[in-house]
Amino acid sequence: MTLAIILVIAAAVGLIFILGMTVTRSLRVPENSSLAAKIQPIDVEAFRNLIDPAEDDYLRRRLSASEFRLVRRQRLRAMAAYVQTAGRNAAVLVLMGQSALTASDADTAEAARRLVDNALLLRRNAAIALFRIYVALAWPNSGLAAVSVLHSYEQLNGTAMLLGRLQRPAVPVRISATL
Amino acid sequence: MLQAHSLLWDYLWVGPNALLLALGLILWRRGTWRAFHAFLAFAVFSAVGQITVFAADIIPSVSAENFWRVDWVSLLLESFLKFFVIGEVFSRVLKPYPSISKLGRLLVSGIGIVLVLVAALTAAYSRGDSAVYLISGAHILEQTSFLIESGLIFFLFLFAAYFQLSWDRLSFGILLGLGISACVHLATWAILANADPSPRVRTLFAFLIMAVYHVCVLIWFYYLLVPEKKRSSLQLITPAKGSLGDPLTTGATHAETLDVWNRELGRLVNQ
Repeated sequence: MTLAIILVIAAAVGLIFILGMTVTRSLRVPENSSLAAKIQPIDVEAFRNLIDPAEDDYLRRRLSASEFRLVRRQRLRAMAAYVQTAGRNAAVLVLMGQSALTASDADTAEAARRLVDNALLLRRNAAIALFRIYVALAWPNSGLAAVSVLHSYEQLNGTAMLLGRLQRPAVPVRISATL
Repeated sequence: MLQAHSLLWDYLWVGPNALLLALGLILWRRGTWRAFHAFLAFAVFSAVGQITVFAADIIPSVSAENFWRVDWVSLLLESFLKFFVIGEVFSRVLKPYPSISKLGRLLVSGIGIVLVLVAALTAAYSRGDSAVYLISGAHILEQTSFLIESGLIFFLFLFAAYFQLSWDRLSFGILLGLGISACVHLATWAILANADPSPRVRTLFAFLIMAVYHVCVLIWFYYLLVPEKKRSSLQLITPAKGSLGDPLTTGATHAETLDVWNRELGRLVNQ
């Protein structure tokens, strides 16, 4: 009986999720002016500083082991917040890129395709980086590489800007707040 | 009305399968099958299989044992074809996205292995609802098949939702129908194979899964035969007023903003 209950609950969760996806898909607004507003610019310099191994080495030398763990965890939480935002921005850019894939202009369509590819890579890297950050939260002394996220984000900056410039030269898309 | 072998019962058993067979023939005539070989095979063979099982049920000369043998063959064939359909749809969804297609295939293989193990474990712990293995085994096989199927479909929806992948209408419709059918069947067969309900409840569950399957066939009709409304292509990418991307906020001219952007990006990449 317990097995039946577990399977029924699992099936109900699956069904609700699938129906939810269907409703979301049918309600998706085909205009991306509101999508751009969802992008949260990220301070890439601050993020770069957070993931710099030299900074960690410096803190490790200057602080006691317990103090280092405390500071490291705070830095990791901040890092996770950045990575989550980067992942969310990537998801928005995927939608924006997809909407331009069918553009009649070949350059725009190519820029859109590159944007989608880069945004998907960033979304993937963000998920992996988040996993590693949460592992590192449990073991603050372990090494961590969120560099792939930063690299992807920088690539994404370029492609998003290019697409924005091709679609509407006057108004570029901006996903970093370093300016 | 809600009795076994009532008119409604017979309709719900034969009707959806006749419709599915008709859908397969329409897809064949329209040439849509070229993109969905597995779905066409599923539509035709699954429908023919179920109609054969129905025939075996009503023809007096077919023994109960032979009925269950026919049911087993039909069930196995249908299950294999559904997995091919899921694989076909997943390939179509991933095709436009080479950057994550390798990850997708890796994950779906991993999830598939885990689901097979979980389903095997679940089958091992299922107590069965009949002393005759031909019957209880068929019910446990239904549970096992739908557990793997619904798990895979759930994963595909989750994967597409996480990466915001855009589905083509046909792929989405096929997987939506399969997903609804798989979840309802899984819940039903889990109860039938493990909870030992009364014959009356069994009959009601049979009506439920047949009715849901009918709805799923109608969903396939809608998505595969009704053309999608044209949506306007998206053109504008406009930062929100007051955001950092808004030139009024930054105070920079558009050209300057682009220039600074390019300079800063170059600096970051070359660091």
